[in-house]
Amino acid sequence: MENLEETFKQIVSDYSEQLYWHVRGIVDDHDDTDDLLQDIFMKIWRALPGFRGESGLFTWVWRIATNEALGYLRKKKVRAALQFQSLDAKAERVIDNDPYFNGDAAQRELAKAIAKLPEKQRIVFSMRYFEDLSYEQISEITGTSVGALKASYYHATQKIKEGLNLSDGFESK
Amino acid sequence: MKRHLPYSTPEGYFQGLQQRLADIPGKKQATTFQKFSPYLALAAVFAVAVVVGNVIINKTSAPAASAMEVVEYLLDSDLTLSQLEDAIFYSD
Repeated sequence: MENLEETFKQIVSDYSEQLYWHVRGIVDDHDDTDDLLQDIFMKIWRALPGFRGESGLFTWVWRIATNEALGYLRKKKVRAALQFQSLDAKAERVIDNDPYFNGDAAQRELAKAIAKLPEKQRIVFSMRYFEDLSYEQISEITGTSVGALKASYYHATQKIKEGLNLSDGFESK
Repeated sequence: MKRHLPYSTPEGYFQGLQQRLADIPGKKQATTFQKFSPYLALAAVFAVAVVVGNVIINKTSAPAASAMEVVEYLLDSDLTLSQLEDAIFYSD
């Protein structure tokens, strides 16, 4: 048990900050990210005794976090639908009113365009564009084939270009 | 090249975060009863509402007349036998 606690504390020490940015890139809001991190690390702690190392620790931790963030996005979508609210308009408001946004106008528009992407495309885009993960790594984390991930990333960049009215110049990877 | 998200965090956030997360193993895990107690409470409220509702309905509604009472009432009414027969045979 003591060994597990040590391992858990090591995961917190090694990954909490990086994981914060991973989740923040998916959900945008700081407070929501903070809440999700508590849930994610609670899950990591509960699942740790069953971790056998079939996948690397990074992949395992990122998989838990990504699934949690995906669940959050889905709940948010359902809640908005039940309240007859536009999720896109809400996302724009969150970004406009975010006290911790420190980018320029172009980055604000990019953040809004990303926020409007479908959940899976958004996750793939964020992991590839901001975290610079390889398709193989993303594939291990999400359980999606590399081909499907490339297609998702392509569609995401197309939608972002449309949202930003760009014909080219937006780098695809 | 890695691109950075255009976001910041409150001052000293990550130190506080690490401390809070590192405290997770010390937190008492909720028992099964604690996990399901909100649902049990909801079920209990629902059961009470059903029982109270039944009691109110039984107290306020008039008792149903028996078949014999209905027949007696009809026979005592001013209806003729043929009208009664029409009512019985053509009511379906």
